[in-house]
Amino acid sequence: MSFIKKYIEQEKVNRRNFLFASAAGLGSFAAAGMFGPNMARAAIADPTIAWSYRNRTNPYWNEIVSGGEAFVESLGMDKDALVHLINEGSSEKSLADVKALLSRTGGELALAIDTNDAPNCRPVVEAVAEAGGYVSTIWNKTDDLHPWDFGDNYVSHMTWSDEKPAEQTARILLDAMGGKGGVVHLGGIASNNPAIERLQGLKNALADYPDAELLAAEPADWDTQKANQVMSGFLTRFGDEIKGVHCANDTIAYGVIEALRAEGIEDMPIVSYDGNPQAVQLVAERKILATVFTNPHWGGGITAALAYHAAIGSFKPSEEPNEHREFYGPTIMVTPEDAVAFKADYLDNVPTYDWTDFWGPTNGQIQYK
Amino acid sequence: MNGILNRETLVKWAPLIVLFILILFFTVLEPRFFSVRNLARIAISSAPALMVAIGVTFIIIMGSIDLSMEGTVSVSAVVFAFAFLALGGTILSWAWLALPLAVLVGAAIGFLNGLVHVKLKVPSFMASLAMGFVGTGFALLLTGGDRIRVEDEVFRGLLTERWLGFPVMVYVALAFLLIGWFIQSRTALGRNFYAVGGGEELAHASGLNVNRLRIMGFMLAGVFYAVGALLAVGRIGIAETATGNNFMFMSITSVVVGGTALWGGVGGVWNTLVGVLIVNVIGNGMVVIGLPGYVQDGVLGLLVIIAVVLSTDRKSVSFVK
Repeated sequence: MSFIKKYIEQEKVNRRNFLFASAAGLGSFAAAGMFGPNMARAAIADPTIAWSYRNRTNPYWNEIVSGGEAFVESLGMDKDALVHLINEGSSEKSLADVKALLSRTGGELALAIDTNDAPNCRPVVEAVAEAGGYVSTIWNKTDDLHPWDFGDNYVSHMTWSDEKPAEQTARILLDAMGGKGGVVHLGGIASNNPAIERLQGLKNALADYPDAELLAAEPADWDTQKANQVMSGFLTRFGDEIKGVHCANDTIAYGVIEALRAEGIEDMPIVSYDGNPQAVQLVAERKILATVFTNPHWGGGITAALAYHAAIGSFKPSEEPNEHREFYGPTIMVTPEDAVAFKADYLDNVPTYDWTDFWGPTNGQIQYK
Repeated sequence: MNGILNRETLVKWAPLIVLFILILFFTVLEPRFFSVRNLARIAISSAPALMVAIGVTFIIIMGSIDLSMEGTVSVSAVVFAFAFLALGGTILSWAWLALPLAVLVGAAIGFLNGLVHVKLKVPSFMASLAMGFVGTGFALLLTGGDRIRVEDEVFRGLLTERWLGFPVMVYVALAFLLIGWFIQSRTALGRNFYAVGGGEELAHASGLNVNRLRIMGFMLAGVFYAVGALLAVGRIGIAETATGNNFMFMSITSVVVGGTALWGGVGGVWNTLVGVLIVNVIGNGMVVIGLPGYVQDGVLGLLVIIAVVLSTDRKSVSFVK
């Protein structure tokens, strides 16, 4: 049993070292703290780069993270150098993981994160700023929280406004229906912001089409099988009255297409959102008339890049204008005419992005209602 | 209470009565609910769920619980899709071998599940829940988060080909329902499930190898999960990690609402059929009459409580944990 003894001894030593190290770390924080939070440190030579997100099962987050990996590789590192903090949809875990990583790295951290829900953004940002790390966020943030209130440490926030693009897809749909007849909408999880915005986009467009009518809008929870069942129900309820289907995202559209196929309906106008590769293929085949690509690969890469370059001192966030701190991400409309070219440019070959062109593809400063 | 209306009779027929009341309710509010086309739609959404629910029925009859269905369905679906495409991509080639392969995968996961439960003495809900997570993770590892499309027209005939207004997959599900019923009522294996569920010590004392039986039970459940996975892929033409989503809630709810008691020994595959139909009639009917989705979840939750209350003889249960 001597190996066990040896192991325990080793662990004791490790633990002691860890405690010493932590104490030293705390000491240095205290010293840095004397100069105020915004002067915590000038630049970090070699920050740990981390992405904190839901999980990789979802194709969207998979794309986001692949962008983060591409950025890390562009620095000449192995892609495993990117630290993954997976929150599995829990804000508590998200915050706890960030705090743990901050203490492990002594604040030498460049963090890209979706904080899972908006209220969780503030504690995450405060923890990072306090430790002297750098953070860039996407999607979730309360309206009263702004990067410029945190000096350099809260580098940027990017989100996407889905209302306008969803309105555009709705117009494509309504035009394909000849401007008249019934539309059904299959939405995301009812409380999700994108789900609300995408439905609102459809309603905005409908205002200009007096002969078209929204028959029903039902949440399908971003889920293919749920969408399949909801669409079946719609077919019973409205039958031939349905002349077009507005889907909140591509995974929902797949379920809708199969529900229609089961009934032998092949030519129903359908539009969706997200620009997943298979949806783009279906757009090329005219089974879907439009989808919207938000370039998650670029979004994932640039968010990590912003945090990293702020951390190493390539630029000073506090000297940038507000539209470089809070901005909308890119959106690209994919229609049957350009689906093939789009697929070749963006999906079959992932473009090599210039990860220092932080704001080129973005869509202007975030507007609050 | 006595005569026709005694408690036992009520418990036995309550699920079926509930099903009829629901059908009547939705039909009165929207006559199109009771059309062949809509019944076919309900049947389509019920078919994969029925397979998974029958699988877990055997486990619940034994007095155990199996929560691994989501992982098992995902792994079986993904392995099937990969093998199917690798072997030719159409049933008319060697790719048909992917069908039995998927079933074997389901059985293997069930076997592992049973081993962990019996040999390591991990309670079944924990062993199977953990195995389900392992399965979901493994499916993700295989796919890397991608969807695999299965386009073969012959395989998709499960959905697109109809006999008497109902797609082929409905008949496949019915065939497996009969197989499940045969196992339950005509084989020693099926009768032993009831014996263990009715009183494990007694079954053990009469010389039954309970451990072996449990492992067999989990394997059998795995086989039915895999069949459910195949029908799920047939229904939407996509195999992915998310193929297994929602099957846990759906199947356990169905089994309980159908009148199979959670402590074992009571119920069977016909109860499960009724339970699955109740759940899917509610799912479809709510959309058909235009009630919002959250009402649907609420109604299902209430039904589960009512079902358990009805099937519990409170005089014989001294405490609940």
